[in-house]
Amino acid sequence: MTDLPTSPFPALLVGLPILLATLSLFFSARVKALVGLTGCLLTAGLALIAFFEVTQRGTVIHILGGWEPPLGILLRMDSLAAVFIAMTAVVGFFISLYAWRYFRAQAATTGGFPLFWPLWLFLWAGLNGLFLSNDLFNLFVTIEVIGICAVALAVLSGKTGALFAGLRYLLAAIAGSMAYLFGVALLYGSTGTLDLGLLGQVLEPGTTTTFSLLVITLGLMIKMAGFPFHFWLPPAHSSALAPVSALLSALVVKGAFYILLRLWMEVFGVSITYAAGQLIGLAGAVAVIWGSWQAFMQTSLKLIVAHSSVAQLGYLLMIFPLLILAPGVTADSAEWLSPTWTAGVYQVIAHAFAKASFFLSAGLIIMALGHDRIESLRDLVGNMRITAMAISIAGVSLIGLPPSGGFMAKWMLLKGIFMSGQWWWAPVVLAGSLLTAGYVFMLLRLAFAPAREIGTFRPVPKSLEVLALLLALGSFLIVLPADYLIQFLESSEVFGSGIESILKGGAYGND
Amino acid sequence: MSVLIDIILAILAVYLALQSLLAPRLTQSVFLFFAFGLALALAWIRLGAVDVAITEAAIAAGFLGVLFLDALRDFSPRGSEKKENLEAVQNALPKNNTKSLLLPGMALMLGLGLFLLIALEAVWKIPDGGGLTAAAEALLPESGVEHPVTAVLLNFRAYDTWLEIGVILLGLLAVFAVGGIKIYRKPVMATQDPLLRQVILFFTPVLFLFGAFLLYIGKTGPGGAFQAAVLWGAIGILLHLGGRPVFSMIPRWLGQLLLTIGLGFFLILGFLFIAGGATLFEYPPAHAGVLILIVETMAAISIAAALTAIFANLNQMNEGPNEIESTN
Repeated sequence: MTDLPTSPFPALLVGLPILLATLSLFFSARVKALVGLTGCLLTAGLALIAFFEVTQRGTVIHILGGWEPPLGILLRMDSLAAVFIAMTAVVGFFISLYAWRYFRAQAATTGGFPLFWPLWLFLWAGLNGLFLSNDLFNLFVTIEVIGICAVALAVLSGKTGALFAGLRYLLAAIAGSMAYLFGVALLYGSTGTLDLGLLGQVLEPGTTTTFSLLVITLGLMIKMAGFPFHFWLPPAHSSALAPVSALLSALVVKGAFYILLRLWMEVFGVSITYAAGQLIGLAGAVAVIWGSWQAFMQTSLKLIVAHSSVAQLGYLLMIFPLLILAPGVTADSAEWLSPTWTAGVYQVIAHAFAKASFFLSAGLIIMALGHDRIESLRDLVGNMRITAMAISIAGVSLIGLPPSGGFMAKWMLLKGIFMSGQWWWAPVVLAGSLLTAGYVFMLLRLAFAPAREIGTFRPVPKSLEVLALLLALGSFLIVLPADYLIQFLESSEVFGSGIESILKGGAYGND
Repeated sequence: MSVLIDIILAILAVYLALQSLLAPRLTQSVFLFFAFGLALALAWIRLGAVDVAITEAAIAAGFLGVLFLDALRDFSPRGSEKKENLEAVQNALPKNNTKSLLLPGMALMLGLGLFLLIALEAVWKIPDGGGLTAAAEALLPESGVEHPVTAVLLNFRAYDTWLEIGVILLGLLAVFAVGGIKIYRKPVMATQDPLLRQVILFFTPVLFLFGAFLLYIGKTGPGGAFQAAVLWGAIGILLHLGGRPVFSMIPRWLGQLLLTIGLGFFLILGFLFIAGGATLFEYPPAHAGVLILIVETMAAISIAAALTAIFANLNQMNEGPNEIESTN
């Protein structure tokens, strides 16, 4: 690991946003927004430069303090981390622009929420740090940073509903962190290392390893709102300010998923059984059905979108059972691993674009109507043409119709499911898509329906509508470089790998 | 004998934790929680982790205690308005309906008991002699300090510590986020109470010196930035309670500088190392000792400022919205 090329980019990706966030604290409200926006643009630019660095030089590392693991901490930017960082940069860039214009439009009545900027920059640094981290305890610190920022952002509006939801979110986040930390302590106690690479080599099956796998998975499931720990997500995401909802749904929950994926693939291979994969897949499948059904039943737009997040995150959990190979199957003969990984990565990216666009559009509708009850969406097409277009495009990607990124994700998932022979997941994917089509078309039907009364829509800034539309289009455009992206991802060690469960044996079930 | 002490401590800690949860009145809960914090601190000492023990005592029993007591004030039936608040809270709580809760409660207890047993087995099976203590000891001469804990916190894993300093600042930003943006309200009148005046006059220099001592001793023994910061934070809180809120008395930019210097200085230093061809937080070995002491001092100042500001802000929120509006 330590003989890989060194680069300063990983350290800058964490340091720069925090430097700018700290700097922005010194300025008055109006200037703070400008400094914050500039900071966001710089961070996004830096992330894209770092992405291209990885495409040129392959995996780069940064040995913090010059101390090599196991004593020190190592930042690693492989192609998987680079893709997640670039996604955060692109989606974050559009949300930042939107947030600046959105808050400025309301500054007279709300004060413009200047605290958004330092919190968002800290959050960005935390996300970058999480994607880059190669250390179990450092991952804990990054999820702490992310958790506090996310909760603070969620309550920024100061409304009673947001405060209640934020408190719930905080309690869930703390419970998740503590469970994760408990697992980290057990692993450190039994192996004496925190470095993911070294842990993967020295970890031995046994009760301690299995139990830490259990509590770490539990903690991360709470953090990513995996079923049945999704209860905090809909109220927290739906009651936040529009740009914040977009950040939380598009980016923050993906952080916990990323750690879960990395830890299962790189560290816990020795303890993971076929049944464990089936169990987490089942949680994902129930989330897809339950979340979509709940979304279908809601009557306010932001709650629909928030419940839809629960379902879309369920698809991410459904890739785990496919990555765990049945007894007797080796990773070389398992041809479905590559499509499954592609499905996972594309689901993350497509959902980030589509959901961000959806929440930003919902924010515009609230701006225009003063509320988001869906019966008032009548004649949205006549009044807010661009927003209606953004919602329908993002909705099509969420359903998974071609040629969207969502289609790519669901198609590859189905491909993986049939190639691996685990056909029982297929009806869930189809039912999920149907239910998603149900609530998206319900919204579109209202949007095209003739208005009952005239003049209920107040005008909103065109630029905001265009930003939401661009994000929606992004969920389609990401399909274009698919070949290149998958080729790039295959340079990562973890992409395309599987867990050969029976060969190593765990403490429970198959020893 | 020592096993007996350990067993008593373990039972005491669990007992106090349970009692704190089950106490019928909030005041009792809070004081039991202090006792629980102290029992934990003792447990850390028994485990040989003196650094953690000091931090535990200072944060859990000290700083959290102050915050809790302050929160208690909000629930005490002072004004009629507060009383209504309290009643509203109590009415919002589910009524005691023991029958319907019995079955799920028992199932939950059973599940938790099972979980605890497996957890105990998992902890039990950890092999001896793990950890990085040996590796840290071996590289200690190159770290610039003589105490392994300080070496790990400020040098080997400086990145984590830097992020944690950020977490404390974020805690303050989160308090701002919850309470709106009204920062640093003008002070209430300076205290007329002669006893409180004397206490402040006496404790301010003592706390300052003791904090500085802990900061400096961190180089060779248990102590360091976090412990010193709590003591310095206590100065800020005392002054605030005595009617001299630090952040209202100094210029705005100075307050912001105090809050951010720990995080900012550490980071800029790290960037300078990168510019010099090293990696983030890679001290030049010759100057490591001095740089670590400066970084620790800055960090202690910022953490102390953040703790003071967190207290000051929560304290203001309790005063009620009307007073805040009228004084601004």
